[in-house]
Amino acid sequence: MAEVHKPVILPPPHASDDEIIARHPPIPRVTTDEDSPLVIMELLQRIKIRDVMRTDVVVLSRRDTMRRAQDLMRRNRISGIPIAEGGRLYGIVSVEDIIQALSGGWIDDVIVKHMSNHLIVLEADMPLAFALKYFENYNYGRFPVLNKEHRLVGLISQRDVTRTLLYELTLEINKLEKKAMQSSQTSGDDSQAAYLLREWSVLHNDLENAGKAANDIKAILREHNVDRRLTRRIAVAAYELEINICIHSHGGNLTFMIADDVATVVAKDTGPGIPDVVWACKDGTSTANDWIRSLGFGAGMGLANSKRVSDRFDIKSVMGKGTTVTCSFNLKPGGE
Amino acid sequence: MTISDVAKILEGSLVVGDAMASRAVGAVVASDLMSDVLLVDADDILLLTSLASDQAIRTAHIVGAMGVVVHDSKPLPSTMSQVAEQLKIPLVSSPLSKYESCVRLHAALEAEKSA
Repeated sequence: MAEVHKPVILPPPHASDDEIIARHPPIPRVTTDEDSPLVIMELLQRIKIRDVMRTDVVVLSRRDTMRRAQDLMRRNRISGIPIAEGGRLYGIVSVEDIIQALSGGWIDDVIVKHMSNHLIVLEADMPLAFALKYFENYNYGRFPVLNKEHRLVGLISQRDVTRTLLYELTLEINKLEKKAMQSSQTSGDDSQAAYLLREWSVLHNDLENAGKAANDIKAILREHNVDRRLTRRIAVAAYELEINICIHSHGGNLTFMIADDVATVVAKDTGPGIPDVVWACKDGTSTANDWIRSLGFGAGMGLANSKRVSDRFDIKSVMGKGTTVTCSFNLKPGGE
Repeated sequence: MTISDVAKILEGSLVVGDAMASRAVGAVVASDLMSDVLLVDADDILLLTSLASDQAIRTAHIVGAMGVVVHDSKPLPSTMSQVAEQLKIPLVSSPLSKYESCVRLHAALEAEKSA
């Protein structure tokens, strides 16, 4: 039997966020679960709530009336107003509170009597993944955002999250397409030239998953019948660099490439940068803490080890921007 | 000396791996520091460690180790055996100390050489 086509009915204008959400069927969850694509997991960690929240927030004080809140909601087409004084958050008034006030006859009362003061808030420095969890766990359309000093700095809604994610995903897809195009151009017409490009995201402090990229690289090299000792050297460099991104940086990517009989591992992170790369490449120099050492790392041998096993080694670091380490290996004996 | 022999010599149990596997120990590396293990340039090493974590298995896979022994009966996290299964790295748990394990493995390897 043919499937019945269901027409899409657009909501009427002036619908609130909650009404729009209520009219739509649930969409598949986007979470930080292991089965989410890496590019999404990385985005949800990299983007912070402060990058997504709106800062032009309409705020009222506790002494304002519910009618004033209703008027501001109508004029600004918003469905919730935080109640704050001097940056300190006291409560929130939602469109539901206004509906109750209208039907209950207390629309001219002061807000302090009827605002919701059971507040669930987010912090500006939290990764966006937290906001998604909150929207999933609590039935609210928006959350107030506080800074480290517990002052109100913004408001985040599901619409803000969707808008930012769509924008960032478009950028990521453009990047991936550009890379794929470059790879097809590099491989050219020579059908004999082996070409391969893979990329992995590496998250800060995610030691549970650190090493997976290096394990994958080793499997790829085995599939390509690369010599056992050379495979070990490449895998060691990849592993050390992956662990370095995980424990020392804010997170980044590990890229593996095979082109023209050269294998290249590139580790690129987004900061904080290394103040003295010559010092950092010496054996036994480390800034690792005790927790990292208890997990078997942080002996200060990572960069030195990667350099030792590579045929060519390059490191560039800019404080505040990040570090890029490139290790290359000749796949053919005597190759340059 | 196969992984099954190792489990017997160290009075341990084979947590992950095939008891009938024939791959032999080439060298023994005893360390809790994974960066040290990554420095070793030898084939078929047996990694002896007290680091009961996924990273011990991942490191063993990177260096092409033939197996991992966790000594002192350190409790093994469930993810460790899952990673070992996935990367096909035999895993042994032994009640002996690192020192005692080294002594026994050394004696067994020497006996094997002179046989």
